Amino acid sequence: MTAPAEVLAVRGLTKRFPGVLALDSVDFTARAGEVHALVGENGAGKSTLIKVLTGVYHPDEGDLTYRGEPAAFATPLAAQAAGISTIYQEVNLIPLMSVARNLFMDREPKNRLGLIDFRRMHTEATRILRDYGVGVDVRRPLRDLGVGAQQMVALARAVSVDARVVIMDEPTSSLEPREVQTLFGVIRRLREQGIAVVYVSHRMEELYAICDAVTVLRDGRLVHTGPLADTDRLTLVSLMLGRELGEVRAEGMTKFTGDHETGTEPVLRAEHLTRRHELHDISLTIRPGEVVGLGGLLGSGRTETAKAIAGALPLGSGKVTVAGAPVRTGSTPAAIRAGISLLPEDRKSEGIVPGLSVRENIALAALPQMSRFGLVSEAAIDKVVETFMKRLQIKASGPHQKVGELSGGNQQKVLLARWLAMQPKVLLLDEPTRGIDVGAKAEVQKLIDELAEDGLGVLLISSDVEELIEGSDRVVVLRDGAVVGELTGDDVTEDRLLQAIAAAAEEAADTTEAVTP
Amino acid sequence: MTDLALGKSLPADRAQLMRWLQDYGVYAGVTALLLFNVVFTENFVSGENFRTQAVQVAPVLIVALGMALAIGSEGVDLSVGSVMALATSLVSLYLGYGPWLALIAAIIGGMVCGLLSGSLIAYIGVQPIVATLALMVGCRGLANVFLPQLETVRDDTMATLGTGDILGIPYLALIAAALAALVAFTVKRTTFGRQLLAIGDSRPAAQLAGLPVRRVLIMVYVCSGALAAIAGFLATARLQASDPTSLGNLMELSAITAVVVGGTPLSGGRVRIGGTVAGAILIQLLTATLIKHDLPSSATQIAQAVVIVLAVYAARERGKQ
Amino acid sequence: MKPHARRTTARSLVAVGLAASLALAAGCAKSEDDASDTSKDSGKSQDAGQEVAEGGSGKTCAIGDYGAKKLDLKKATVGFSQSEKEANPFRIAETASIKDEAKKRGVKLLTANAQSKPDKQISDVQDLISKGADLLVIAPLNSDGWDPVIKSASAKKIPIVTIDRKINATACKDYVSFIGSDFTEQGKRAADQMIEATGGKGEVAILLGAPGNNVTTERTKGFTDRVKEKAPGLKVVFKQTGEFVREKGQSVTEQLIQSKPDISAIYAENDEMGLGAVNALKGAGKKAGDVKIVTVDGTKDAVEGIVDGWISGVVESNPRFGPLAFKTLDEFTQGKPVGQDIVIKDTEYNKDNAEAGLSKAY
Repeated sequence: MTAPAEVLAVRGLTKRFPGVLALDSVDFTARAGEVHALVGENGAGKSTLIKVLTGVYHPDEGDLTYRGEPAAFATPLAAQAAGISTIYQEVNLIPLMSVARNLFMDREPKNRLGLIDFRRMHTEATRILRDYGVGVDVRRPLRDLGVGAQQMVALARAVSVDARVVIMDEPTSSLEPREVQTLFGVIRRLREQGIAVVYVSHRMEELYAICDAVTVLRDGRLVHTGPLADTDRLTLVSLMLGRELGEVRAEGMTKFTGDHETGTEPVLRAEHLTRRHELHDISLTIRPGEVVGLGGLLGSGRTETAKAIAGALPLGSGKVTVAGAPVRTGSTPAAIRAGISLLPEDRKSEGIVPGLSVRENIALAALPQMSRFGLVSEAAIDKVVETFMKRLQIKASGPHQKVGELSGGNQQKVLLARWLAMQPKVLLLDEPTRGIDVGAKAEVQKLIDELAEDGLGVLLISSDVEELIEGSDRVVVLRDGAVVGELTGDDVTEDRLLQAIAAAAEEAADTTEAVTP
Repeated sequence: MTDLALGKSLPADRAQLMRWLQDYGVYAGVTALLLFNVVFTENFVSGENFRTQAVQVAPVLIVALGMALAIGSEGVDLSVGSVMALATSLVSLYLGYGPWLALIAAIIGGMVCGLLSGSLIAYIGVQPIVATLALMVGCRGLANVFLPQLETVRDDTMATLGTGDILGIPYLALIAAALAALVAFTVKRTTFGRQLLAIGDSRPAAQLAGLPVRRVLIMVYVCSGALAAIAGFLATARLQASDPTSLGNLMELSAITAVVVGGTPLSGGRVRIGGTVAGAILIQLLTATLIKHDLPSSATQIAQAVVIVLAVYAARERGKQ
Repeated sequence: MKPHARRTTARSLVAVGLAASLALAAGCAKSEDDASDTSKDSGKSQDAGQEVAEGGSGKTCAIGDYGAKKLDLKKATVGFSQSEKEANPFRIAETASIKDEAKKRGVKLLTANAQSKPDKQISDVQDLISKGADLLVIAPLNSDGWDPVIKSASAKKIPIVTIDRKINATACKDYVSFIGSDFTEQGKRAADQMIEATGGKGEVAILLGAPGNNVTTERTKGFTDRVKEKAPGLKVVFKQTGEFVREKGQSVTEQLIQSKPDISAIYAENDEMGLGAVNALKGAGKKAGDVKIVTVDGTKDAVEGIVDGWISGVVESNPRFGPLAFKTLDEFTQGKPVGQDIVIKDTEYNKDNAEAGLSKAY
């Protein structure tokens, strides 16, 4: 078997930033008809490499070859024109424009008058998107779609512009499992068409499901490259983390240790939570020291349930009690006073305050407790910040670094610190490890374990099935805003969970479209 | 020569230059204008001249302090000029009870205006620009109801306040400086200040963190109203007349300019009081320079526009980072 | 679904905001009428109406030329359109004078105030016509843009008299006559006073009115022309706008006396700026009479300034158009020819007549 043709290759690539060597003589090759995984912890140099490949950055040293000839892309636009398409984590489309317009931007079909032929554009768009499992009215503004569907539009757009290389930066971070399957279908088709795909992801199971080759970066250096089939999961993780194989094997894939000793009286009791169109009579309890998982598909009401308990979503009816005392619903401050803390799903826009420092972010919720007569006590804050930065091992240049500049994992830790400073009784964690690198993920998981051991009641929402199963003592399964099942004891397994979700989904399939916004 | 001296501290690439410009550009501008005037303007270096500039800048600066808070909370307060007018009309109405009571009446008036616009913003969710625009129209009208036309103010205390000085420093300048220090302290050291910045940076995050968002927003506009009222009182003292028709006209624009030029981003989350003070001084010096050199008033407007564009451009470049 | 819901609320909130601002604006508009009522007596106590000066175009206009019908003024309805809110002494006195004269003659008067908005004045006048005004007195905000009004007025052959500002249209065809001051002349007379006060020597600064206003242009032109012609020793060294506002007059003068401490005189194109200049001079420790000030308008505060010795002279711009306007309308409707361009005689105040004139000042 001959190796497929090289499409895009770099040799000895070096990129320096003030004070940092971001890439240190890295080689990378993308071949036609090959899906190439690019992995590494955050800060390993993946993003820098992608940005050099797509013309955002210019290398300090090294050669770039594209389709057999030396090349240098001055701007991202030049790279795009040459046939290198990129799909970023964040969708970079125009939310107020229609789905079809977004799909055909700058190359809309024209009629004889040179005006946009809307009818043709709409039929075309509908047809293309159906291949991606997106069945929506393409005339609606893009922002009406769910994040997953938006991602699909971005993908469809990127692929349909005659690409030779498609680079995907964590494309599945906001997709539902079914959407991931659709995406994989698309990727397989790209492979058959001889397109080179560069796939960046933290999710192991995805890499093994779809990728042919793998390149591992660590601290700006190339540590491994080769066929993925030659590298097993544990080896890959140890390469990424730079840890010994045995160490990884002993600790398991996630950092969860297993069951916790739990109290008998629930610390949190949510009863009959109801909100028009979103939540239908949801009841659940959490005991001290217990991690309760909330399972279900995207849009099943998991986030809404957490928000409702945290007072961030007004309820039609329902009752929340903490340690037996009723909590006024629909009021965040009331919930926080009662000891309920929420780590929101959308960390960037609802969690961190990006322009403020690590210190200010940690102290944010507890400010009144650390103030006298409205004056902030800097000493009190320093003490808390120091304690938690150490305990959670928050990596920042110092307490005064802006949170927006930190990696996802460290941002998440800052948020955890913010809530732990409030000494909560109940922690609601909505996708606590989404979009953060493997190392930080393990640390956050370990932390969740420790917090539960300390007697906190934890509600865990995660799209990562492995994480949900290994992390939870008990899993409540939701569908369409209602509780459809509960897994306890030995039933807390991946199979059982998937069965519960699948059963729910099968029922749902009769009533809903493939991907509904 | 100056280039050589600055050469080392000046950053190399463009993005850094823009950041530098946003952070320190206003101070560089003030320095440049001072140097220009020292060399080219007759009788510029005199205590009397500096007193004049200090007195003239005081009302703008005080209004700009409140504006900085509003902008820091990702809002804006367009009603400041009209609140000044309302304050001056209240001063003339209550001066019979003595100047201090008149001052209190003016401040209460300003705070009520702030309470109104703040409540519209915090509870009803009206855009700050719309809410304060309503107050801008309303307050000016109300001022004219209280006092239909200009009225001379004859009060010794107010005359002293408006024209007198301690050790050569005008009262007006001292009061403005004290208020600037107070606001800077509030932003830096109080719970309110910290919460204000968090709300300005990310309101959803602040809300989920359990911050009293509504209360803080209302406080912001109440402070802005009170500061504008104080500025109105002092302007009345300086003019020795209450002029509800023209006092504070276009003041909101001067204040916004001072704040933005001073490096406070319009997107909120950051308040720079030092920069705001320098921004107000920059505008004052610019106006003074052009008047002293007898250039037409259109030149002043064009110069101000250039400064604003530069400031916003620097801010935008920074936003890209 | 959620973003959509959010958008709807946002929209309705903007609507609420606009409604609130409109309500406030309405409240404020109403207040202006009240305001003018309370200050009515400022014009009432004096009977000093205007006198006609010599000059003007000399052309006359008779009722037949205009195409209107004779009528009895006493039984007619007169509409009066004021340009700006009555917040300065000039407008207050002007409106009061019209109202008083109408009352005195027993004529029914309809009034409107354009609040400094040109389109509002046009619709104001059309409103007055539809409410049944037989005759119109207009204090125009602008000279241009009157075509739509003239169309509706000429269709009904309604006689129009404009006061204090001319409109760009044909006299005796589109309107009957214009009654007003000659602003250039006011500037010239201010120059005469200035020459007398300074002895025709020294450096003078001008505080200009609002930029782009014909009053500013003409008062400046008259002043500088006359100074050049009569007193070449008097140099205009500084021209800055004070926008007809006291505070601006004060600020600009403060800058002026820092950079030009030897300035010997200030010509302020209205009283308010002149009074601001007085404030600035006092603040700088100058004594009354150190810097000669001449202003235009003739408000009470300025005339008091002459008595106190701070102001050297004030050229009056008489706002009491009532008697002359109604006299013109009366004669015209009886069929007598009236002047097309009636320039009124403005008096002036100086240290000799200031005390006596104080009661006459508005």
